[in-house]
Amino acid sequence: MEIRPIISALLRNRAGAILVAVQIAITLAIVVNAVYVTQQRVEKIGRPSGIDDQNIFSFWVNAYEKDYDFLGMVREDMAMLRQMPGIIDVTPINQVPLSGSGSSTQFYSLPDKKGENSGSAYYFTDEHGVNSLGLTLSAGSTFDATAVEYQQKDERTQDWPAVAIISQGLAKALFKDEPALGKTLYDDQSDPIRVVGVIEHMHGAWVGWDKLDRTILLPRVGPDQSTQYLIRTRPGEMDRLMTDVETALRKRDPNRVLALPMKKMSNMKRESYAGDSLMAVTLTTVTGLVLVFSALGIFGLATFNVNNRTRQIGTRRAIGARKFDIVRYFMTENWLVTSIGVVVGCALALAAGFWLSNEYQMPRLDLYYLLGGILGLWVVGQLAAWQPSRKAAKVSPAMATRNV
Amino acid sequence: MFAYYLQLALRSFRRNPGLTSLMVLAIALGISVCMITLTSYRAAAANPAGERSSILFAPSIDSWDPDRSYERDDKTLAPNMLTYRDAQALYASNIPDRKLIMYRSGEIYTRPDKGMDPHYIPTRMTTRDFFAMFEVPFLYGGPWNEKADAGPEPVIVLSKEENQKAFGGGNSVGKTLNWQQREFRVIGVLDDWEPMPKYFDVSNGAFQDMEGAYVPFAWGAILELGSHGNTNCWKTEVIDSFKAFLNSECIWIHGWFELRTADKQRAFREFLDNYVTDQKKFGRFPRPLNNYLYDVDGWLKRNEVVQDDNKAMLIMAFAFLAVCLVNTVGLLLAKFLNAAPASGVRRALGASRRDIFWQHLTESGVVALAGGIIGGLLGVAGIWALRAWYGQFVKEAPRALPFDEANLVIVVLIAVAAGLLAGLYPAWRIGRAAPASYLKAQ
Repeated sequence: MEIRPIISALLRNRAGAILVAVQIAITLAIVVNAVYVTQQRVEKIGRPSGIDDQNIFSFWVNAYEKDYDFLGMVREDMAMLRQMPGIIDVTPINQVPLSGSGSSTQFYSLPDKKGENSGSAYYFTDEHGVNSLGLTLSAGSTFDATAVEYQQKDERTQDWPAVAIISQGLAKALFKDEPALGKTLYDDQSDPIRVVGVIEHMHGAWVGWDKLDRTILLPRVGPDQSTQYLIRTRPGEMDRLMTDVETALRKRDPNRVLALPMKKMSNMKRESYAGDSLMAVTLTTVTGLVLVFSALGIFGLATFNVNNRTRQIGTRRAIGARKFDIVRYFMTENWLVTSIGVVVGCALALAAGFWLSNEYQMPRLDLYYLLGGILGLWVVGQLAAWQPSRKAAKVSPAMATRNV
Repeated sequence: MFAYYLQLALRSFRRNPGLTSLMVLAIALGISVCMITLTSYRAAAANPAGERSSILFAPSIDSWDPDRSYERDDKTLAPNMLTYRDAQALYASNIPDRKLIMYRSGEIYTRPDKGMDPHYIPTRMTTRDFFAMFEVPFLYGGPWNEKADAGPEPVIVLSKEENQKAFGGGNSVGKTLNWQQREFRVIGVLDDWEPMPKYFDVSNGAFQDMEGAYVPFAWGAILELGSHGNTNCWKTEVIDSFKAFLNSECIWIHGWFELRTADKQRAFREFLDNYVTDQKKFGRFPRPLNNYLYDVDGWLKRNEVVQDDNKAMLIMAFAFLAVCLVNTVGLLLAKFLNAAPASGVRRALGASRRDIFWQHLTESGVVALAGGIIGGLLGVAGIWALRAWYGQFVKEAPRALPFDEANLVIVVLIAVAAGLLAGLYPAWRIGRAAPASYLKAQ
């Protein structure tokens, strides 16, 4: 089959072909980069947190009265809540993981700020912390109840508790491949903390932090006169329990403040990832729409060409071209236009990717995505040209004799 | 003539409803995506300080770690908050016309007569010029005086919303609220006030909720109230009391200084440098001299209130609009050429090339206007949907995606401009065609 008549026909109607090629070029640049960025965000959002985040809710409890027995309040609340049917476990905790607020500090594998070091989010909780968060321990066990320090308001110290449970992420940062259980880590004042448990995996406070999987649990309640209660429920019982817990707590002791509404951890997690999900949603929408419009553009051009060349097609059919030849002719023509667009689009996509990674610290565009985009657009182009080509093939050879 | 062109355009739409709808749809969808991304971009890019933007200044002095810069991305930047002692020292300067230091805190408030459910109120600890410098509107009463700052006196300014919660609205000046076992007297009630982005304190999110109460700054040290926002520390130092914390190198305070003349601005910059150089003698400020004085605009940029994602989405949206437009050019071209014989007749009857050009350009404009309006409305619907969805778990969602008629006007104008641009080539092409060739075929 000759490609030259196709090219000369294209050159005769340059405008249409150029428009479609331009459209395809921009489409390729958008789609490749949008899919790439979306893919990264979706992966980021989908990372497991190591926490039973779909079955947990939490809320602040504040004491405000002078000489209020805050620690007694926590103990009695815990005793009551742990009896409630539907609650798997509950713990007081100073901050809630995945919420976007929390505290972090630097830990060292040796005293005097020596050895390996890493930042880590830290959480003060009691012996029920591990189970309440739904964490899996890969070594050691949770705290002994006796290890939990209950600190009064005026007992504030700068020391850390003597023992801790750390995530595998932090363990690896500090102790490399050695087993972390039984090891000692230090803060910047060389205060020692012994590792009594290692968590398989646990996310901390800030989803945008590169040390998200470095966390440490420490056994302490107080001395602040406020805490969060973190409650893990059986699946499906959370909504009922949110109401029941509030009622029960108010009934037990009305003289403290429960900061309402109670928050589901699943919602905090979604809030933390809201920016990423908005980006993913926007880019996916744009990708979908831009593909549809490119297909429409190709379809429109093909239809226009077919309509304009009815007589030419008829003549070709009259002098012996088969239907298949006509279809092939139009499919090839569109493939050519698509390919020109794709070539320009490659340059555009690479430039856009380069610019995005430079300007916005996004990772450099992966070339496999470009390859996928090229193949995708060829398929879309051929699909869009299929119907008009079939229509062209149906043109009767008798058309050659009309309108002369 | 224009009216006649409009008539022709409408007639042409009726002849080709499918193709016309497709063009309108293409523009509408392109515009709606632009509308949504533009809304989120413009909300973040806004500067609510208006004219005062160029006379309000936030200092940034480099008190950070000698071994690493404050920001990892841009190592030239200095911290965006102040230590307590530096804040006090800068506040003592006589150069500024007005000045303030502040931070966000909060505690449980109660009413002496138990007429209110005890609850947490986010509270701004600030000096008195806050209200004048940021032009905060009062419904009742007014700001406290200098004596109340120095005392400090137990006075409090409530937001309108908090006044409603505590006292059921109305003029509550003179009434009292309990806080930390002390009575605070209401001295003023604010009117609705929610500048977004919250430019005077963007360190905890640019669209964070406003505080419900305002209390003299000096109470912070007395009641030992830390920040309920960010506190960042770098130095190994023993902090075993609140006093030690106040003397530490931890940063958590914001300062703003009103400097109305270039001379004062220069003088204050010098003052900053002199202060830091002086402090170096005491072993503080271990990094090289690196101080900044930002006006509001500069401050918002320094803190990257407009995020990279905002920009990236906006660019993607406009690239998509470009595809829609190229598409429209193609469709217009096909449509005009399809109807070319009619133009041939008009030309033969005496219409000039120019007439044909304007006729077709009018048609493009009408298509674009329709697409722009529909796209704008689709965009509003999209914003509404995003707000409804994200509002379930992101408190800031409505503030970060505000309805703004200006955006609607902007996108419709963009649509019309783009539509006319798209129609330019097809209209010129059809105007150029010789009438005879179309007449022959009849």
